[in-house]
Amino acid sequence: MQILSHSFINMESSDSNDKANIDHSEAQRRSQLDRLEREEAFYHFVNNLNEEDYRLMRDNNLLGTPGEITEEELMRRLHQVKEGPPQQNGDENRGAESTEDVSNRDSIIDWLNSVRQTGNTTRSGQRGNQSWRAVSRTNPNSGDFRFSLEINVNRNNGNPNPEAENEQSVEPSNGEDLENSQSDTETPRSESPSVRQPGSDRSTSEELATEEASPLRGQRRARSRSPEQRRTRARTDRSRSPINPASETPRRSPHNMPSQTLDHSLVNESEGSSRTRQHVTLRQHTTGTEIASENAVLFSTPETRPAPPALGSSETNGSSESAAPGQRPPTIVLDLQVRRVRPGEYRQRDSIANRTRSRSQTPNNTVTYESERGGLRRTFSRSERAGVRTYVSTIRIPIRRIINTGFNETTSVAIQTILRQIMTGFGELNYYMYSDGDADPSGPAPNQNVDAPELQNGGDSGSTSSRSESTEGSSGEVYESSNEGGSTSARREGRNTRGSVTFEESGSLPFLSLAQFFLLNEDDDDQPRGLTKEQIDNLAWRNFGESDALKTCSVCITEYTEGNKLRKLPCSHEYHVHCIDRWLSENSTCPICRRAVLAAGNRESVV
Amino acid sequence: MQRTSRLKRELHLLTTEPPPGIMFWQNKDRMDDLRAQILGGANTPYDKGVFNLEVVVPERYPFEPPKIRFLTPIYHPNIDSAGRICLDVLRLPPKGAWRPSLNISTLLTSIQLLMSEPNPDDPLMADISSEYKYNKEVFIRNAKQWTEKYASQQKGASKTPDEEVTQSEASTPKESAISQKRKANDISRKGKKPCLDS
Repeated sequence: MQILSHSFINMESSDSNDKANIDHSEAQRRSQLDRLEREEAFYHFVNNLNEEDYRLMRDNNLLGTPGEITEEELMRRLHQVKEGPPQQNGDENRGAESTEDVSNRDSIIDWLNSVRQTGNTTRSGQRGNQSWRAVSRTNPNSGDFRFSLEINVNRNNGNPNPEAENEQSVEPSNGEDLENSQSDTETPRSESPSVRQPGSDRSTSEELATEEASPLRGQRRARSRSPEQRRTRARTDRSRSPINPASETPRRSPHNMPSQTLDHSLVNESEGSSRTRQHVTLRQHTTGTEIASENAVLFSTPETRPAPPALGSSETNGSSESAAPGQRPPTIVLDLQVRRVRPGEYRQRDSIANRTRSRSQTPNNTVTYESERGGLRRTFSRSERAGVRTYVSTIRIPIRRIINTGFNETTSVAIQTILRQIMTGFGELNYYMYSDGDADPSGPAPNQNVDAPELQNGGDSGSTSSRSESTEGSSGEVYESSNEGGSTSARREGRNTRGSVTFEESGSLPFLSLAQFFLLNEDDDDQPRGLTKEQIDNLAWRNFGESDALKTCSVCITEYTEGNKLRKLPCSHEYHVHCIDRWLSENSTCPICRRAVLAAGNRESVV
Repeated sequence: MQRTSRLKRELHLLTTEPPPGIMFWQNKDRMDDLRAQILGGANTPYDKGVFNLEVVVPERYPFEPPKIRFLTPIYHPNIDSAGRICLDVLRLPPKGAWRPSLNISTLLTSIQLLMSEPNPDDPLMADISSEYKYNKEVFIRNAKQWTEKYASQQKGASKTPDEEVTQSEASTPKESAISQKRKANDISRKGKKPCLDS
């Protein structure tokens, strides 16, 4: 500090020499003095933080800039963050929501940025006859990221009233939606151990793009399908293990309920429109030596079903929905979950073995493009075995529509459009998946389902996949074989179809680039970016002792004083923790010698 | 983060131990807008030239490099007509080589070095670069011309140098930099072509 004040005096004298500016420089001098004081207070504050508190402050971006906030403010922030993080989140969500109803692309970018900064946001907006709301939450501890998107399509284009009410109803129900998305997060986890019905699973994974051609077919099939199948399709579980339809039902209901209320408010205006629910679960695992990214996207849409509408609706959406099936406007809910696994943190479900196992369960890992009047379902998997990287991605979009008596084509077309747009959003990502998908062990089984048109007729029992072999067949063998066949063929199919889909309506929904943006940016982010918090925290840390030779932190050019917390990089260079942490959060080399802070292999894993 | 205190320390160091041929001062009262002068190296076409530079210190300094550009036109393969400088230490990693252990003084020294040793393989000005590579005599002639035209006679009319004189005189009257500086200013008294100041 002596140096500091000395230099200050120099500057002061130089300032005062400038006669015209004496007053000004005096004022400036004071403000600079204040600032220096606060800076010193900042260092004092940081020095007195224990490691845990320091991390808490740093990770929540509460430390701010030295000299700009007072020590009291820092203390206040610390207490705040210690006491009630959840409440804060809630506030943020609410606050964000109230101000945001713009649905242009920029706002989406803003939103994304704010998601990155705060971790929690809610946005909503309206575009044409579609209103949307995106809710995202980040768990600062685990790094999990959840994103849910809900789209309401107002079928009655010509009528402005429903639209307005649509918006209104969407806004206040935000809290519920949050819960909704939360419950969604948990749901997939609990699902893994259940047993899936062979037939039902098949039906999802093996429907083919070719089916899209004939709407009638889709309807017919939908009608013929058993309730269990429908339910199973509607779910995606994280581990992609079979799902037991029976256990599915109770799980579905909780997250359907909140959104239900949302829909109810719309019932009046939207009579006769269909309702669409989509669940997207996207998971990304980053581990020390490999990355596994599973994107499980699941879109379940009540299908157009001429005959038994009540059945379909109740199955998909739970009890409350059955009350007014098909009277709600189409609502598409998209949930996206990203989870980052800390390096070195191997959980059973993230292990290679686990992933391999799940891959062997071909039905869940295959790339499938299913569409019957808008039904899409895809699964991708990719792995570089020798190349350390495993990338498993699952996108499934089984779609069912419920046709009620008052249903018209416009609605279904709208739904399809949205779905395609969503798929477009994932298009680029999918492309990557495709490139490796062929190497998948599921093998070059013959494509039995390409002949879907013919199979359609047989699909009365509702097991679409088995249609190729036996109409009603839910037998294990049939299941196996058809699944294998389905995987490859479907992958091929998906690739073909994807192109057309992309071209058709690319970019017409602003937020659809979200997924792409988000996922593809992983690479961009990681490349110039620095270490993760965990990696930084793993670096050595010590207190500067009196006996240490006098040294200066080369980031802030300040001499260490006793009690300063120093971080020592592997290259033995030391800095103030708060100085080096900030640098390392965006960079990965030592500021002095430019050596990589992490070993090359580790660094790779970050990307 | 530590911008203010760090800048103070840097300014202090610069006034006490200025790198040879480099001057550096605050523009008016602003901490984040600095001015610098680099004297052309003796064995370069920029000899006897006095080049003004603008140093804008970003909010995130030192985690981001300062933005430095030439205010005085200079004929150089790696410096464009707007004064922008193609130099790795001026950019953030991974493309650049900026790091917080560098400072404004070292950056200006690097720029000084770049002036004496252009890097034609990483050109900003393609024409000048190929001239430097394949027709060096022409390059030297041109560069000298520009130096003479824009940089050699620091006309007294230029505000920045005057400011600088008063300030640096006041703060460190005995510094060698000042005498260098005065020399430069004496030359500039003759005042010819105004430079591109701000």
